Amino acid sequence: MPKSRKSYNAASKRDLVFASLLIAPAIAVLLFLSIYPLAYSVWISLQSETANGVSIGLHNFYRLASDGFFFTSLVHTLVFTTAALTLEFSIGLGLALLLNQHIRDRGLFRALLLVPMMLPTVVVGVVWRLMLNSNFGAINGALKQLGINTEQLTWTASPGLAFASVILVDVWQWTPFVFLVLLAGLQAIPQEPYEAALIDGSTRWQTFRHVTLPLLRPAILIVLLLRTMDLLRVFDQIFILTEGGPGFATETISLYIYRTAFRFSEFGYAVAMSFVLLLITNVISTVYIRFLQTRESAS
Amino acid sequence: MSNVSHSIMKKRIVSVVLIAGLIAVGLLGCKTATQQQSKRLTLAVNSGVEGDALKQAANDYEAQTGIHIDIAEFPYTNLFEKELIDFNARTGAYDLIMLDDPWFPRFASKQFLADLTPLLQKRGQNGPDKDFVETSIALCRHPYQTGNLYALPYVGNSQLFFYRKDLFEKYGLKEPQKWEEVLAAAKTIHEKESTGAGGNRIHGYVMRAAQGNAAVADFMPIFWAFGGEMFDASGKPIVNTPEGVDALKFMLELGKVSPPGYASFNADDVGAHLLQGTAAMSINWPAWIGPFSDPRKSKVIGKMAFTTLPAAQKEGKAEIGNWLIAIPRDAKNAEGAADFLLWVTSTEQMRKSAERGNPPTRTSLFSDSQLVAKYPSYPAQLKSLQTSRPRPRTPQWNEIENAFGIFLSKANSGELTPEDAMNQANAEIEKILQRGQ
Repeated sequence: MPKSRKSYNAASKRDLVFASLLIAPAIAVLLFLSIYPLAYSVWISLQSETANGVSIGLHNFYRLASDGFFFTSLVHTLVFTTAALTLEFSIGLGLALLLNQHIRDRGLFRALLLVPMMLPTVVVGVVWRLMLNSNFGAINGALKQLGINTEQLTWTASPGLAFASVILVDVWQWTPFVFLVLLAGLQAIPQEPYEAALIDGSTRWQTFRHVTLPLLRPAILIVLLLRTMDLLRVFDQIFILTEGGPGFATETISLYIYRTAFRFSEFGYAVAMSFVLLLITNVISTVYIRFLQTRESAS
Repeated sequence: MSNVSHSIMKKRIVSVVLIAGLIAVGLLGCKTATQQQSKRLTLAVNSGVEGDALKQAANDYEAQTGIHIDIAEFPYTNLFEKELIDFNARTGAYDLIMLDDPWFPRFASKQFLADLTPLLQKRGQNGPDKDFVETSIALCRHPYQTGNLYALPYVGNSQLFFYRKDLFEKYGLKEPQKWEEVLAAAKTIHEKESTGAGGNRIHGYVMRAAQGNAAVADFMPIFWAFGGEMFDASGKPIVNTPEGVDALKFMLELGKVSPPGYASFNADDVGAHLLQGTAAMSINWPAWIGPFSDPRKSKVIGKMAFTTLPAAQKEGKAEIGNWLIAIPRDAKNAEGAADFLLWVTSTEQMRKSAERGNPPTRTSLFSDSQLVAKYPSYPAQLKSLQTSRPRPRTPQWNEIENAFGIFLSKANSGELTPEDAMNQANAEIEKILQRGQ
């Protein structure tokens, strides 16, 4: 039905008003759920409690510089992230390459590999805590059966072993995720480049290096990005497994932030630390994206 | 065309009506909630045996008076967070709160709690009942012992010394009065019981040395007995005095006869060792007494004995750990809350709470013949409670305890020498105190 221009305009104006009414709740929700809290958290980070009330300023950020606990927990977080990410990525990639081949029962293997990922992290923490118990745990129990002296294997009680334990548990739980994403990436690669490589007489390593890896880059980017963000803010498993101990040996930045906010009720300082973590996460993510994307467009 | 625009119109009307309806329902909900406020009480309780007793009492109260009681139940650490958030936001969500006594200085010094004296006077009482144990009521005053009353004590926990009387008899040892005797007995048992059933030895001692609350709670009685003090008279931290360092060295000696890995032990690990009969002695809380006579959990039925804490240069003193009940400053129904508070801490109600497994805070109940028949350790508990010491009364206790616990744990896991651990702990505590000034 033909319409005059005028009435069309009027109608579209009405629609526009109605449309904005319809999206208003969504915008309001967004304002309340992300923009307002973000602005408010900046405000909180500027507040610190003193004996004469709340003072406003950058005290919390100055305090970061002289806080040994903050610095140590930050180092722990970075070491933990690097170690766990390296292990998860190499094992995950290996498994993905292996199970991308036509081996028998690969469906079964894939399903089994995904089990750890489906468990809630808290449950994983509790299960490993029980298994790693140096006196009654399954792991030392099994080692004892093999005739190994477990007196010194106090998993969560000696600083070095405790740190290794929390890495081990994260690798156990999250390697399947890396594997899953990389496997999906591998399966999306078409056969033709491989055939071409075969015809050109490239070795298996050359094929992997020049065909598989470049084509897998988007999947690698996603998996590294997500895992890094998750690892930097790791909390649940460590909280359950060691609660940051023994001493301060496995305290990560998230645990320290939690303690500062909810045990010591110094919300301003906790928020200031959270901003540092946010900044680090952002920088690392940007580097990943730049690095992996430019290489993609160059190749 | 008219059909189409009609249906659009209809849809618009329907959606506007729906939204308006939703808002109206929300507002109505608020309205009715405020109207019924005076006949309602909201309680924040700890999930655990202490909170359960209070919950059951609340049910009885509801049945008796018709006043509806809402219970907000949280695990230990969450309870602290929730209460703190409620105080800071001044929402007045709770009319009564349960609190662990170390939280009290923080809450009271910020004037988060209602002064109980006027509420008691209105009800014809000049002060708290004299029957309450003195060390318990002292916790409810700010400043400690001398100030205004902001809470009443509900559960009267204080540490006890647990030991295996069967092993002590077997090796002709007598009940330890001194920490030296504890160490000697622990060494004897550790050596003689090195090949128990299934290759499991019985360790001489067991303690919690995980960072934070655990290590500090198990260390304080040793620290105090050796003459250590956390603060001097002017409030300066002095944990690194020779007495303090000696106490930590002694803790490490006990560590040598404790199960490997004790540096990460929490209450559950210590409990497991005692119940399994793989450790002979420990400092522990009365809540653990019950499970020893439960055949499903315990391999040491009738073998445990409980006494007051050993001495060294100084008298042995337990750490007190009472659950208190207070009325928040912003409580919506403070009068109703005061009625309930007096009712639930009365002798009759506290007897019920004791029967439900919570040590009382009233002197008369500790010598009540029926209760003593059920809980033979009550005389020892009363003695321990009466001679107990509180954790240092400072609003920053959580932070100080955390820092102190980290260094104690570091010493126990071999990361630091006792001297270094105490020096670093002292420096850290000083830093925390400075921040509060």
